[in-house]
Amino acid sequence: MTTLLIVDDSPIARQILRKCLPKDADFTVLEACDGRDAIEKFQLFRPAITFMDMTMPVMDGFEAIAEIRRIDPKAVIIAATANIQPKARKRIADLGALMLLPKPVNPGAVRDALSRARIATRDDTQG
Amino acid sequence: MIFKQIADMISMGLLVLDEDLNVHFWNRWMALHSNITADEIVGKPLFDFFPDLNEPNFLRNCRSVFTFGNFAFFSQKLHRYLFPFRPAYSDRTPFDFMQQSCTMGPIRSSDNRVQYLFLSVSDVTEVANYEEQLVEMNRKDALTGIYNRRFFETSLQQEFKRSLRHGRALSLIMIDLDYFKRVNDLHGHQVGDDALRAFAAAVHSRLRESDLLARYGGEEFACLLPETNGPAARTLAEELRRMTEETRWVCREVELRLTISVGVAESRPEMGGFEILLKKADDALYAAKAGRNRVICYN
Amino acid sequence: MSETRFSATEKDLLQELMNIGFGQAAADLAQVIGLSIKLSIPDIQLFKTCELSRHMTEEMDGEQEFSLIEQYFLGKFQGIALLALPARSGKKLVTLFGLQDQCNWSSENLAMLEKEAMIEVGNILIGACVGKITELLNDVVLYSPPRMRIQDVRDSNLPNNLFAPGSLAISLKTVFHFERKKITGQLFLIANQDSIAWLKTALNAFMEQYE
Repeated sequence: MTTLLIVDDSPIARQILRKCLPKDADFTVLEACDGRDAIEKFQLFRPAITFMDMTMPVMDGFEAIAEIRRIDPKAVIIAATANIQPKARKRIADLGALMLLPKPVNPGAVRDALSRARIATRDDTQG
Repeated sequence: MIFKQIADMISMGLLVLDEDLNVHFWNRWMALHSNITADEIVGKPLFDFFPDLNEPNFLRNCRSVFTFGNFAFFSQKLHRYLFPFRPAYSDRTPFDFMQQSCTMGPIRSSDNRVQYLFLSVSDVTEVANYEEQLVEMNRKDALTGIYNRRFFETSLQQEFKRSLRHGRALSLIMIDLDYFKRVNDLHGHQVGDDALRAFAAAVHSRLRESDLLARYGGEEFACLLPETNGPAARTLAEELRRMTEETRWVCREVELRLTISVGVAESRPEMGGFEILLKKADDALYAAKAGRNRVICYN
Repeated sequence: MSETRFSATEKDLLQELMNIGFGQAAADLAQVIGLSIKLSIPDIQLFKTCELSRHMTEEMDGEQEFSLIEQYFLGKFQGIALLALPARSGKKLVTLFGLQDQCNWSSENLAMLEKEAMIEVGNILIGACVGKITELLNDVVLYSPPRMRIQDVRDSNLPNNLFAPGSLAISLKTVFHFERKKITGQLFLIANQDSIAWLKTALNAFMEQYE
């Protein structure tokens, strides 16, 4: 069983992402509504994969990714954002996020992201 | 079938471009005005035929329409035209090329993706022509055909700023025809009007292309002289005074003797605004009129 | 008028979709105009049509002078877009858009060129934002030619043909910023009551694709 953490300030965005998860797989899904909440949940539950929205109140996704990667340098984080300007893209990559998932999300893109994330986690445990 | 005919029958240009900006459709209007048939151009890059369109503004608008599905408008005011065609239906047009107003917009595939863009081309030469005439009419004095007071004041303001910015000379001559009321009283307004016209034409012929002559009031005229300093303006003023005095003015078979009073002022950096320059020239004119047939320079 | 009110879920989804739409618009704009641009998270407000002037007065800095570009968009989503640019930003935009190369411009034409540059920026910004929102919600709109608005919007009304007196309007506002040129302005998309009803339907349709 894989634990996922979905971070987004919008309840509907979290709901949409949940609905895009493959139905045949077994996930435990946790939710957080801003960066600070995400860090707390991450420390408590150590999810295998974190989906991170970038623009949020209290603490945004950029700060949260940096902090989570400090807590666990191997944390697998997928940045979900509509802002795919090269500058934002580069900043997200530099912070150590695995990849960028463009919004609005759809089941196909989420499935692809999850399989890339699984390969990343496997590589990490083996390496 | 109907739509193909409409596209070929309407009196406007219609073309369709694909994402690589190759021509996908070229209507008959475009063919007739460009002398390029659809067979020749369809499937080929538009820029092979119209290389001047290969510039940032046109390209940006194409990208925008493909990306956002919005419209782009190429106004005649800014662009004049996109396609260099000869004016077709307008004789005596001042334009070398057909003036065009063009609109660009998206054409979508069944899944709503922008697959092509269309460009419509309207001939607005007649409208632009008419507009140009209106603008010109608005600047000119109906009686003499030289510029009117309003245009003179706008130009004075601009030239004054320009002379300050570039540190270049600028002079102003104000002219008043002496005892002109007598001409009207003695010979009637028609003779008076003819005299004003003849005088304006005579002064105009002695000015340079860059100078600006305007009718300032009833029998008062103004000359704006860019890149002319005080002494040079004075020489010109003196010449105009002598010319007026020495000319035999014949209007409607009436021979007139005319003289003028002239005020001259040169723009100085310490003058706060164009109004000061105008005031100085006017003061000089006022002083000249005390004696008539004289040139007075403000210094 | 109850059917034009949004539920909490609808509000949340609308906000999320606007964030996505404006985010995509910013990314694509950077590509199209070759310059990075920031669009703030859109602020969504409902108000009575007759209260436009009050709404705009509240939203705009009274101290600053603005040039306003207006453009109508017509589709299931329809209304008026208003783009407020600092009054003297025209000069910077002329060079930004390379319009100075268009012709040999005399100084008297420069004012016209600056005006055209602002209109051009307005056309693309408005097209990007309206285009992305309607694309997300499966609508296609037509646009009127953009123009400079002469009337001060703070003491004028919405056009009656699109906005019936007494009806509701929805305003989506974003603050945009061209980083390299240091130009900041505001974009308002103001849609009419029919659009609000359509938005509700479209939002539900959007959710259905995830069921």
